[in-house]
Amino acid sequence: MPREIITLQVGQCGNQIGMEFWKQLCLEHGISKEGILEDFATQGGDRKDVFFYQADDQHYIPRALLIDLEPRVINGIQNSDYRNLYNHENIFVSDHGGGAGNNWASGYDQGKNVEEDIMDMIDREADGSDSLEGFVLCHSIAGGTGSGMGSYLLETLNDRYSKKLVQTYSVFPNQMETSDVVVQPYNSLLTLKRLTLNADCVVVLDNTALNRIAVERLHLSNPTFAQTNSLVSTVMSASTTTLRYPGYMNNDLVGLLSSLIPTPRCHFLMTGYTPLTVERQANVIRKTTVLDVMRRLLQAKNIMVSSYARTKDASQAKYISILNIIQGEVDPTQVHESLQRIRERKLVNFIEWGPASIQVALSRKSPYVQTSHRVSGLMLASHTSIRHLFSKTLSQYEKLRKKQAFIDAYRKFPMFADNDLSEFDESRDIIESLVDEYKACESPDYIKWGMEDPNNMLTGEGNATGSLDPNQ
Amino acid sequence: MDEEEDQQKLPDLVKELVYRLLSQNLPPNSPPLNPNSPEFLDSLRYAHRILSSRFTPSVAPDAAAIADSIKRSLAARGRSSDALSFADLFSKFAHKAQSVNNKWAVIHLLNKISQDTHLHHFHHPPPLLPNLPLPHPTTAPKPYSNGALLISKDPDNRRDNAFRDFLALLREETEVSEEALVRDVLYACQAVDGEFVKFDSRTNRYAIPDSVRVPRPTRSIVHGLCELGFLFRKVSGYISQSMDGFPAEDVGTVGQAFCSALQDELSEYYKLLAVLEAQSLNPIPLVSESAASGNYLSLRRLAVWLAEPMVKMRLMADLVDKCRVLRGGAMAGAIHLHAQHGDPMVHEFMRRLLQRVCSSLFEMVRRWVLEGELEDIFAEFFIVGQPVKAESLWREGYRLHDAMLPLFIPPSLAQRILRTGKSINFLRVCCEDRGWADAATEVVADKGAASRRGGFGYGETDTLEFLVDDAAKRIDKHLLDVIFNGYKFREHCLAIKRYLLLGQGDFVQYLMDIVGPELSEPANTISSFKLSGLLETAIRASNAQYDDPDILDRLRVKMMPHESGDRGWDVFSLEYDARVPLDTVFTESVMASYLKIFNFLWKLRRVEHALTGAWKTMKPNCITSNSFTRLQHAVKMQLVSTLRRCQVLWVEINHFISNLQYYIMFEVLEVSWSNFVSEMEVAKDLDDLLAAHEKYLHSIVEKSLLGELSQSLSKSLFVIFDLILRFRSRADRLYEGIHELQARMTESSSSSRDQNRSHSRKQLIDKSAEQGSWIADGRKALTQRAGEFLRNMGQDLDEIAKEYSSLQEEFISQLPVQQHVDLKFLFFRLDFNEFYRRLCPSM
Repeated sequence: MPREIITLQVGQCGNQIGMEFWKQLCLEHGISKEGILEDFATQGGDRKDVFFYQADDQHYIPRALLIDLEPRVINGIQNSDYRNLYNHENIFVSDHGGGAGNNWASGYDQGKNVEEDIMDMIDREADGSDSLEGFVLCHSIAGGTGSGMGSYLLETLNDRYSKKLVQTYSVFPNQMETSDVVVQPYNSLLTLKRLTLNADCVVVLDNTALNRIAVERLHLSNPTFAQTNSLVSTVMSASTTTLRYPGYMNNDLVGLLSSLIPTPRCHFLMTGYTPLTVERQANVIRKTTVLDVMRRLLQAKNIMVSSYARTKDASQAKYISILNIIQGEVDPTQVHESLQRIRERKLVNFIEWGPASIQVALSRKSPYVQTSHRVSGLMLASHTSIRHLFSKTLSQYEKLRKKQAFIDAYRKFPMFADNDLSEFDESRDIIESLVDEYKACESPDYIKWGMEDPNNMLTGEGNATGSLDPNQ
Repeated sequence: MDEEEDQQKLPDLVKELVYRLLSQNLPPNSPPLNPNSPEFLDSLRYAHRILSSRFTPSVAPDAAAIADSIKRSLAARGRSSDALSFADLFSKFAHKAQSVNNKWAVIHLLNKISQDTHLHHFHHPPPLLPNLPLPHPTTAPKPYSNGALLISKDPDNRRDNAFRDFLALLREETEVSEEALVRDVLYACQAVDGEFVKFDSRTNRYAIPDSVRVPRPTRSIVHGLCELGFLFRKVSGYISQSMDGFPAEDVGTVGQAFCSALQDELSEYYKLLAVLEAQSLNPIPLVSESAASGNYLSLRRLAVWLAEPMVKMRLMADLVDKCRVLRGGAMAGAIHLHAQHGDPMVHEFMRRLLQRVCSSLFEMVRRWVLEGELEDIFAEFFIVGQPVKAESLWREGYRLHDAMLPLFIPPSLAQRILRTGKSINFLRVCCEDRGWADAATEVVADKGAASRRGGFGYGETDTLEFLVDDAAKRIDKHLLDVIFNGYKFREHCLAIKRYLLLGQGDFVQYLMDIVGPELSEPANTISSFKLSGLLETAIRASNAQYDDPDILDRLRVKMMPHESGDRGWDVFSLEYDARVPLDTVFTESVMASYLKIFNFLWKLRRVEHALTGAWKTMKPNCITSNSFTRLQHAVKMQLVSTLRRCQVLWVEINHFISNLQYYIMFEVLEVSWSNFVSEMEVAKDLDDLLAAHEKYLHSIVEKSLLGELSQSLSKSLFVIFDLILRFRSRADRLYEGIHELQARMTESSSSSRDQNRSHSRKQLIDKSAEQGSWIADGRKALTQRAGEFLRNMGQDLDEIAKEYSSLQEEFISQLPVQQHVDLKFLFFRLDFNEFYRRLCPSM
C-alpha cells in the first residue's frame, strides 16, 4: 500500500527530463535498463513501489505516462536502451504526429480531443495502485504540447482526481535570450494560470538559471540539453528521496508539501542543489559538512531560479518556507549546530507574519550510486522573489500583446474563437494577483492583506471574470 | 680457756652495750629498760646482724695514716696543742697496746664518733646505720665501739652463715620446689591442672592458689607463663567445638580449614612442649655442690622458651575470639585484618594460616569464574545466588554478599568475579549457549597452572586478578558475541526504534491510515484481534515486510486497560516481545518506558496526520474561488478572511507540530540512538550494554518531556494536541461548507451559463433540477446562509486560535526555564524566525 505517484511526461521537454528522471531512479534503486533488479541490489530499505510497479515477470515498470503530440522524442526513447523499461500501453503519441506547433491553444485543444484516451491510461494506472497519492507532471511552459496539453491535463486531473495531489516540474523558458519560440510569453502566461489554479505544487525549473549554473558552476561553455536535463533529474530524484527511503518524517508527498506550502496560492517552489556535478565530470572534491551544504543551499548562485529582482526588491524578498533534504552520512547532531549558525549569521530572511523555520530532512543515499562527496543537499523553498519571474513573463506578454502579435494563431482554436481573448486577460489578472500575493507575503500584515481593498483581492476571479460572465 | 671466756663474754658485752644505748636514749621519767622485753630483744638481734655484717669503711687499713690525718685536721682547726697531745697519745697507743691487733679500726672509729658529735645533734639517727628501722622511738642505736670489734672478728665464717640463713629463710617461705612448678607450668600449658597450678574458673586463668606459699616473683612468673595455658585452652576448645559441631552446625569449609590450620600450629606447639618436658627432667651438671638442687629448666628458662609460642598462641586465641561468630569470607576477611602486621614473624604466621584458610574460598572463585558453578554449601562465598526467573537472572540472580567479602579482594575485583560467573550462568540458562566452555578452556590453556585447582591462594591476589580478568574478558566477549550475533541485539534495538519509536515512517503511516477509523470507536468495542490483522496489513504494505520474520513476529498490538469513555486512540499501542535472553535488557519496566514513549509519539503522529489531512482539504487546487464571484461583497470578504484565518492558524499549528517532530527526530531520537550505538560498540560486558541502553532510554524519556521534571510541560502539550484535533474537525467542517457552497454556486452559474452559451452539460442541469429547492430559495437566501455559516465558523476559529495561542504561549514560555539543555533547542526551533519573540518581547 505505497503512496503511489503517477508521472505524466508531456511534450518534448517533459519527456526528456522525464527520461532522465527515470534513468536516475533506476540507477538509485539498482534497476537495470530492462527494469530488472540488478544482482547487487540486495540492500533493502528503499521503496521502489512508489514510482514503479512490478510486472508478472517481476520486472519493474515506471508508473509513467509518456505523452507527446509528435513522435520524435518518444521514438528516441523507444529506440534507446530503456525501451523495455516503460509500459508500452502508457505511451501516447498523437496519430497525426504533427505536434502542437509551439502553440498553447493547439496543445490545449488537442488535449481536449484525446482526453478520453489519455484519461483511460491515467485511470488504468490509478486503478493499479493501492493508495494513489498524486500525480507529477513534467513539462515545459513555453512550447505547445507541454504547456497547452499539460494545462488541459491539469484541469482534467483537478476535476477528476480532486483529492489527489498534483505536483508539476515545470521548465520555464530562457527569458534572457531571444527564443526560437516567439509566442513563448503567450504560452507561458496561459500555462501559469493553470499552474496557479489547478496544481498543488509547482517546482520551477528555470532554464535561464540552469544554463547559468551549468556555465558558472560546472564550467561548461555551451551546456547541452542533456547536461541541463541531468541537473533537472538530479533535483527531481533528490526531491523524492524521502518518499523512496522512508524515515521518521516526510514519508509521503503530502507531508513533504504541506509544510512547504502554508499559503495555498503561493505554491511555486524554488530548488537549489549542492554539490553539483554532471555525469562523467571529474569535480573537485570538497569537504561537505551539513553546515557547508545548508549554507551553500542558501546562496543565490546555487538556486535554480533566476533572480530578476532589483536590489531593493531583492532585499525585501523573504522565505515563506524552506525544506532541506540532506542525503548521505550525516551526524544528526550537526543539524542543530548548522541551524544555530545560520540563524546567528542571519543567512535567512523569513516571513514575519507567522512562525517559520528551516526544515531539515535527512535521507539515505542510494548505496548503488557512488559519489565523490559525502553529503549532498537539495533545497525546496517557497521564496517571494519568485514573483519577479512571473512579472517578467507578464511584461513580456504585455509587449507582445500590445502589438497584437501572433494572436491569429490562437484565434483558430475554440477557446479564442470569435476574437474572444478574455482567456488572456483572465490569465494575466490571475498572475498579477499571484504576484501581489507574493508581494503581500513580504509584509508583516499579510494576514489582513486584501481585506481592505476589495479590488486587490481575488482579482482574477473578481472583476476580470465579471466581464466574462454575462450574468453579472 | 681465755678464749672460751672471751667467746662467752662477747654476747654479754653486746647485750650490755645495747642495754646501755637504749637506756641512754630513754626519755626522762620512763621506767627502766626491761632486758627481756621484745623491743629489747629485737634491738639486740638487730645489733647482732649489724655485727655479723661485713661492713668495711672506705679507708686504707693504715693506723699511722689515719692518725696523721687526725693530727692535720686538729692543726687546721687551730688546736695544735691537742694535736701534739694526740700525737703523743697515739705513739703510746701504738707501742703499748700490743693486744689490739686492728689499731687502725679503733682510731677510725674514734675519729668518726668525734666527727658525729661535732656534726649532729645527739638524737639524730646515726649516719652509720641509716637503714636501721627503729621499732619504737624508745629504741636507740647501739654504741659503736664494741660493734666494730665484733665485725673485725672472723668474717669468713659470718658470710657463710648469712648465706645459709638466707637459704633457710627461702626454704622457710617456699613450700614448693621450682621443679614442681616447672612441671606444673608445662602441664598448665597443655591445659591440664597440675599439683599446684590449677585452673581458676573464677578469674578464668591458671594460677597457684593463695594457699600455696610461693614467693611473689615466682608466682608472677608462673602466672605469666600460665597465660599460655589459658590461650591454648581457648584455641583447642574452639577447634574441638567446631569439629564436633560439624556437620550439624555449619562451620563451613573455611572454618574447617581454619581449624585444621590451627590444629597444625598446635601440633608444633605440642612438639615444643614435649621437648621441654624431657628437658625438665635433666638436672644441670654443676660444679658447685651447694647449687645441686637447681634443675636445667628453671621457670626463667621456660619463660624464654615459651615467649614465641606465646605470641602465636595469643594471635590464635585472638583470631578464635574474632572468628567465633564468623564464617566463610567474613572469617577470611577478619583473619586478613590481623595479617596486616609489621612484625615479620606475625606476618609470616598469618600468611601461612590464611593460605590454608582461603584455599577453599579461592577454589570457589576459580570454579565460579571458570565454570560458573556456585559450590557453596555453607553460604560462605561472597556471591549469593537465588532462584529467579530467567529474565531477571542477570539483574537479581546473583549478588555480592558484602559481609562475606574478604578485604583482600577489592570490591571492583569482586564485581568482576561476580559478573564473570554471572555471565556464564546467563549464557547457560538464558542463552542456552555452550560456547562459553571453549572460552573457559582457552583461559585454562592460557593461564596454565594458575587456573587449576589450588593454583593460587592468599597473597596471590595478582594471580587471581589476572585469572579473573582474563576469564572475564573472554567470557564477556563471548557473551556479547552471543547477544549481538546469536540474539541480534542490535537488530532488535533497531527494530524497536523503527516500530515502537515510529522510525519506520511508511509503516507508521499505513498503520495510522488503516487503524485510524477503527480507533475512533469506543475502546470496549474494538477487537484487538482485528487490530492485529491491521498491523499485519500495515507490515505487508510497507517496507517492514522485508524485515526479519523473527522481528516482525515479535511486534504485537497491545490494548491497555480502558475505562468507560475511552476511545481506541487512548488504549492502542504496539509492543515488542523481547523474549529470553533479551528480556534481561528489555525488562518490563523498560518496556513500560517504551510504551510511554510510543504513546507520546503515536499521539504526535496522529496530530500530524490530522494536520496534513486538514491541509489536503485546503490544498491549493481545491478552492477555485472563481465560483464565488457572484457572492455579495461582504460575504466574499468574510469568506476570504475566514479562509485566511484558518490557513494562518494552520500554519502556526503545523509549524509547532512539525518542529516538535523535527526536535524529536534530531535532538531526541537520532542523537540518543547514535550515542547508544557508539556506546554499544565499546561495551565490554553485559552491564555496560545494560547501562548504555538505560541511558539511551532515559535520555529519550527525559528529552521528549516524559520525565518527572517536565510533567507540566507534557500535560500542556497533550492539551494542545487535543485542541489541534478539534481544530482539524473545525477546519474540515469549514471546507466542507465552502465546497458545498461552491458546488451550489457552480450549479447555479453553470445552469445559467448553459442556457446562454448552450453548453451540453446535461448532467449538471439534471443535478440542479434536483436541487432546485436550494436555488429556488434564491441567491439572497444562499448568501445569507453562507454569511451565517462563515460567521459561525469564523467565531469558532477565533476561539480556537485564542485558546491555542494562550496554550502555546504557556508552553513556549516554560521551555527556556527547563533544566534540559535540549529543550532550549526545541525553543530555538519553534522560534527560529523570532516570530514569537516579536509577538511577546518578554520571552
